[in-house]
Amino acid sequence: MEHPILFISVILEAIGLPVPHGPVGETLLAKIVSPHLTYTWLVMAFLIIVPKLTLGKLEMVPGKGQNFWELIIGGLEGFMAENMGEEGARLMFPMLATFAFYILTSNLIGLMPGFMSPTSNINITLGCTLIVFTTTHILGIKFHGVKYIKHFMGPIPWLIPLMFPIEIISHLARILSLSIRLFGNIMAKETLLGILFLLAGAFFAPLPILFLGVFVSLVQALVFVLLSILYFSGAMEHAH
Amino acid sequence: MSDSRKEIMKLLGDFSTIGLTLAASIFVGVGIGYLLDHKVFKGRTAPWLTLIFLGFGIAAGFKNLYMLTKRKDL
Repeated sequence: MEHPILFISVILEAIGLPVPHGPVGETLLAKIVSPHLTYTWLVMAFLIIVPKLTLGKLEMVPGKGQNFWELIIGGLEGFMAENMGEEGARLMFPMLATFAFYILTSNLIGLMPGFMSPTSNINITLGCTLIVFTTTHILGIKFHGVKYIKHFMGPIPWLIPLMFPIEIISHLARILSLSIRLFGNIMAKETLLGILFLLAGAFFAPLPILFLGVFVSLVQALVFVLLSILYFSGAMEHAH
Repeated sequence: MSDSRKEIMKLLGDFSTIGLTLAASIFVGVGIGYLLDHKVFKGRTAPWLTLIFLGFGIAAGFKNLYMLTKRKDL
């Protein structure tokens, strides 16, 4: 397949850096300048600079920029509060809002020509998922101490040898399903767009997939955050 | 977004996870069994631990489905 033109990679190659043509490069420098990392940094810079520019100083009567961000942050906090309670929402809001903004922006950035979605590489989604998985168990130990192991025991004492491996497997399956869902959806969107653009770009063939891509990006960012909320609230509540 | 639209998006997200979670549980079960058979016990217990953990994996997948039916917010 034709290699897509990614403008950051083109610029870095013109400077003389060894940009890899496969998914991951050989040396450390090639790994650092591989496309999914450079586009992650672009998304990070976007998410730091744009709110700084539009927000300005916080005021009592909000202007246009402040109104926009208040709407988004307020909606996100309400969504979290109705799913995991006020206390948990206040505790976990910074992390989950970061995930929501980062995943949504990096899903949507791939719809523009010359950009790619960092989330279409499994290393990025696996990293996010491992953070969520570790935080789940840290929260469980923080809220319950040693009694957290009761979450893995099931309700009936003589079924413990059966329930313990089942619970361990279903916790490990969360890593697999959460990372592969996001990676698979976004990678499919990117590949389909590339192929359709190559085959019949002049006849607007990618247009329906662009429309579906907006939808998929929104739904997948929402699903990632929603499932993280469910896992966190499952670790925080008492064992059944 | 209006309330009913939001509700539909949330349900769509919830139900699109069912199939993949079932498949992932089975794969993780088989993977643990295979690792125990071939890396920990060096093939002495060859097919048995894989089969037992396949059973555990399938049970875990169906337990997840059962827990989904018990959720109160759906």
